[in-house]
Amino acid sequence: MSIFSKVLDPMRERLPLDKFNLKSMVYNKKVPQHKMKWAYYLGGLALLFFTIQLITGLLLLFYYQPTTEEAYDSVKFITEQVPGGAVIRNLHAWTSSAMVLIVILHLLTTFAMKAFEKPREITWVTGVILLFITFGFSFTGYLLPWHQLSVNATKVALEFIGVVGQYLPGEYSKIPHQIVELIQGGATVGQETLSRFFAIHVVILPLCIFAFLGMHLLVVQLHGMSKGVDKEVTVHEKFFPDFLIKDFSLWAIVFFILFVLAITIPIDSFFPYPLMEPYNPLGSTPEGIKPEWYFFFIYYPMEILPFWIILVASIVLVIILFLVPKIFAGTSRKTLAFLAILAFIYFVIMTVFGESIVTLVKGGH
Amino acid sequence: MHDYFLFIGLPYVALFSIIVVTIYRFNSNRYGFSSLSSQFLEKKKLLWGSVPWHIGLFIIILGHGAAFFTPKLLQSLVANKTVMYILEIIGLTAALFALFGLIVLFVRRLRNSRIQAVTSNMDLVILTLLTVQIVLGILTATLYQWGSSWSPGIVGPYMHSIFTFNPDMSYVKELPFVIKAHIVIAWLIILLVPFTRLVHMFSLPITYIGRLPQVVVWSFRRQKEAVVIAETEDTTRRYFLKALIGITTGVVLLLIGIVDKIIPFFIGPALSREEKAKFLKGRLEKIKKAVKQKELEHERLINEFIHIADLKDLKNEEGLYFIDYKMKPGLAFKGEDGLPVLYSAKCTHLGCTIANKVKDGKLLCPCHISHFDIKTGNVIDGPALEPLPKINFLLKDVNDQVVVNIDKSKLNEYKVYIARSEEI
Repeated sequence: MSIFSKVLDPMRERLPLDKFNLKSMVYNKKVPQHKMKWAYYLGGLALLFFTIQLITGLLLLFYYQPTTEEAYDSVKFITEQVPGGAVIRNLHAWTSSAMVLIVILHLLTTFAMKAFEKPREITWVTGVILLFITFGFSFTGYLLPWHQLSVNATKVALEFIGVVGQYLPGEYSKIPHQIVELIQGGATVGQETLSRFFAIHVVILPLCIFAFLGMHLLVVQLHGMSKGVDKEVTVHEKFFPDFLIKDFSLWAIVFFILFVLAITIPIDSFFPYPLMEPYNPLGSTPEGIKPEWYFFFIYYPMEILPFWIILVASIVLVIILFLVPKIFAGTSRKTLAFLAILAFIYFVIMTVFGESIVTLVKGGH
Repeated sequence: MHDYFLFIGLPYVALFSIIVVTIYRFNSNRYGFSSLSSQFLEKKKLLWGSVPWHIGLFIIILGHGAAFFTPKLLQSLVANKTVMYILEIIGLTAALFALFGLIVLFVRRLRNSRIQAVTSNMDLVILTLLTVQIVLGILTATLYQWGSSWSPGIVGPYMHSIFTFNPDMSYVKELPFVIKAHIVIAWLIILLVPFTRLVHMFSLPITYIGRLPQVVVWSFRRQKEAVVIAETEDTTRRYFLKALIGITTGVVLLLIGIVDKIIPFFIGPALSREEKAKFLKGRLEKIKKAVKQKELEHERLINEFIHIADLKDLKNEEGLYFIDYKMKPGLAFKGEDGLPVLYSAKCTHLGCTIANKVKDGKLLCPCHISHFDIKTGNVIDGPALEPLPKINFLLKDVNDQVVVNIDKSKLNEYKVYIARSEEI
């Protein structure tokens, strides 16, 4: 075997570009039918949500102004004055939550179904990167309305990076703080931070997501659907048109639900008004500063446990996430499903009961 | 917030249900798509129940429909008092008529053992809801009289707003409880239609009216086969046509919806002069604030000393926020000895700004509940580990000279400054 084929063969196996044609990517593609078949729809939903975010985001750009003086007012202007502005903004906000939820579910189900198995490693790794990009979107987008909650929550989140400094020796202990200031663009969260987050949110991350999403979708279509269950699958459904029609029907229903939510329940109504006031740099931080619900799973443990435990755990978790195809190559789907369910239960408990757990552990205030 | 759900969310769920789920049920179980008649089990009471109920209901629905969909016409009609009285009397009579029929039907269903055998829980639920609904309607008509004159102006716009996808519940949210309940139960019944025998409202045998008096059915094998083939072809073609019409209608509606929202979005709001002025005023205030903020920053870049406050303005119990040389918040108090005490207001835990009120000698950071001692800045409890840093100050007297020897009797004349050289 020549050195070239040694390098190229595994690559060809993982990126079978010879299948890059309509026939094998669309007409011949088959979707296995078994009790986990619902999970095949989650990725498509994430794609729908991304599309909604892209369109509503572009629309919001027509009126939003990324300066500390104008940001809050321009968001208010969109919500209160622009025709249809409230729907579009609420749709953007609701869909952001829905997207994070679906992306997490997608990750857990593909993990449980062992969809990362050789030769689908690229799908998994790009998927994990897309997850982090999604989190990046939510984190940067949260700051843009420039109200009390968004600015203060961003401040707290950034300070967490600075806390790492206490575990580093000597001169190095200053580096995390320098990183925080680099992200902020100054000593505190201000105009520089807003400009940076805006640029990241509307230009840099979209470019990244296009690249990785393109890759992700390409390998998904090249390899076809993974088997999903341990035993042999006998029943299949054609991807085109059967599965696709069902997929689109689901999109229609989900979009309808989101649309009704966006019309009826403004996202601001979940927070007490003081948190929705314009950010006031010259005043006390109001009570009840919390990150978005999908960060609770890491935020509440952080309130209870020493910071270094969370730090180590997060680093280990990120490394594991990227190395999943290697680490779990020999694990049965049953074990994987168990792990996924465990992770999901942890996520749900921390999200729903996190606050009560913190009060319970630390005693009442 | 539950108002939002009841008067905006619920209607859309109900409309979605009655359109989509009904079609789904029709396609999936066509033979169950009926009123599940029990006429052959019991006839006599059915006659006395069903006929008054349906006649009464039909009239009432006509009246409601007039209020919802042609409110202006109805209003102009009832402007004539006589017409209004007649309409009200007809309506109330029809309602009582329907109630009578419904009670007969209810009793029949509860007492006749043969009917009991074919009664599902859903039948009872829907009967109860309908009875409650009729009673609420009669209560509305009697407690809040002359509904034919006031309802078009209130419920008409509400229905209009629902059907134009521009929901506005301001018309209905102030209504009395009885009427609100009437509206909510109406949506609930609409929601339940596809899950109950009420679907028979869509399977009225209207074609009977125009049906041929004689239907020919072939009995020869060959003709039969030909008929089957023709029917199959016909069905396929009809399915295709139906699907095509469905998809086209869907796409057209979607496009109309998008255009309806997007074009006004791009055009932007049409503000009146007053609104524009108010809006601009608000922006000007913001810009002024921003200018102030920038001036503070500028002052800190060029000046060696920054004036915080006059000493006499500082208080023991309530701190004054100021901005230090790094543009971070600070708090200034008056200490027990009458001299100022300055702390950085940035919590040493995660950088929230601490509150400026002193309670029991403690300062509070509201983010993660850390308490600091007002005298020393030390942490009393909470997740913060390090004390609040003190900020050094200096005093200047009336002549703008830095005070070296503090004269306790002149405290009220002193001004508090922070200095660049003392920067922390």
